[in-house]
Amino acid sequence: MADINIGKAPATIAVLPFYGTAAVFLWILTLFMAIEPYDLLVHYFSPHLLAWVHTAALGWATMMIFGAAYQLLPVICEQDLYSTRLALWSYGLLTTGVCILIFSFWNFWTGMPMIIGGSFILLAACCYAFNVWQTAAPCSDKYTVNKCFLISAACWLVLTVSIGLLLAINLRYPFIPRNHLELVKLHAHLGLVGWFLQLIVGVSVKLIPMFLLGKSNKNYVLRIALVLQNMGLILFLVDGYLVPTNKRSLIYGVLVLLGVLAWGYYLADAFRNRARKKIDIPMKHVFFSFGYLLAAFLLLPVMEFRTETKWVTLYGILLFLGWITALILGKTFKTLPFIVWNKRYKKLNGKVKVPLPKQLYSEQLVTVQYYLYHVACSLLLTGIVFTMTWLLQLSTILWLLMSTVYLYNVAKVLFHKQTKPLWNYK
Amino acid sequence: MSDPLFHEKMKAQIALSDVIDPELGVNIIDLGLVYEVDFPNVDQIIVNMTLSTPHCPLGEAIKEGVTNVLTAIFPYRNVKINVVWEPIWNFDMISDAGREQLGLSPR
Repeated sequence: MADINIGKAPATIAVLPFYGTAAVFLWILTLFMAIEPYDLLVHYFSPHLLAWVHTAALGWATMMIFGAAYQLLPVICEQDLYSTRLALWSYGLLTTGVCILIFSFWNFWTGMPMIIGGSFILLAACCYAFNVWQTAAPCSDKYTVNKCFLISAACWLVLTVSIGLLLAINLRYPFIPRNHLELVKLHAHLGLVGWFLQLIVGVSVKLIPMFLLGKSNKNYVLRIALVLQNMGLILFLVDGYLVPTNKRSLIYGVLVLLGVLAWGYYLADAFRNRARKKIDIPMKHVFFSFGYLLAAFLLLPVMEFRTETKWVTLYGILLFLGWITALILGKTFKTLPFIVWNKRYKKLNGKVKVPLPKQLYSEQLVTVQYYLYHVACSLLLTGIVFTMTWLLQLSTILWLLMSTVYLYNVAKVLFHKQTKPLWNYK
Repeated sequence: MSDPLFHEKMKAQIALSDVIDPELGVNIIDLGLVYEVDFPNVDQIIVNMTLSTPHCPLGEAIKEGVTNVLTAIFPYRNVKINVVWEPIWNFDMISDAGREQLGLSPR
């Protein structure tokens, strides 16, 4: 029996800054919302809403996903992370780029500030994509589907950000012979279906069965999911660019939906064949996230046939604050405590009693966060559908409370200090 | 009991029960991660074991734990750990005590 290289966890410096910064950006986002809740009722292409969307998409979701991906790529690909230095570069570039971009959108400084911010983010995306490629490419064959999802997501990210940068340039120096809003629609869906969806699928099909102690042998449905999601996206982009105002986008939406259902079928199979019956709060967060995603699909025909912009805002909220946020809120406490624990207690394991990873954060606060999140999200969605300003005000305050609880708990893990002697841990 | 190394193996088994898989919160003996402990000569211990997930980031911590507990009770022996993927670990390898701690459905 040969000794097999079990691999090394990536350096924590390549991972932890992303978690901390993402939690801060979520807090900033909810602060924006609480200060100006009525911005949610204006057209989505307005300075403040653009600043919000990019805080959510880049500062919160992409920041967190970069960090989680650097930690999980070695697990998924059974290969050490290619470069910690590149990971750090992507962190510095993304953080700087997002800060510049948010300020530019908030004040609508088109021109150099927006272009510089976009350029930093493009460089960050390139660093990330190169790191993913170098780590995932040597994967063994049995992980082909996971590998394809991760690589295709990284490629779509680079394309999304490139188009975003071109749009920023186009705002100041118009050169694209197309309606700007139609291009924004393509840019947004490129990011949602290409980057977020495919990355989440690639990671979740490994992690969710692992957390549930479940398994599924239906790998073929993942290949179907990969083809359907990419086919739907490519057709949507090509047709959407050539013939901007057509209703065929619904057909492409159905293709992507079928790809999502195939992914859901795989996860449901793993869920059925799980050994761990008890579902904890972080996993409940993850399951609810799928509901928000499906609700967003149901809104697609409404957006096609109704002219009110509130449906577009609702769609964005379902995806960013519903689907992606619920998923990240849940996954944070399934990954972050383990990373910090590994750094602090690895050498002490077996020598003395050490705390378990779940003792590094407050489980009670995760429960509080869970209920606050659901109430805040439900009230926000209701407030937008019925244009109830007082409800928007109330819900955004709850969002701020929720993100404060989350930020506190993340900081508690990041700055973990032993509060009692090691031999007292049980 | 006829095994001349029975007592050493029992001591090793008890010591390894102090190594917890941090992800599952259960010791590696009850999880069935340890396949074999061998004493091939007077100054060595060989542990053949597996991990619940290949390339698990916590794998190093578990290996470290195994080395720590065995070095503590067998200070004059060198600990060698072989991480193997055959046979593949599965839920059936978890002991009844481990299943109870994990809240798994009974066998």
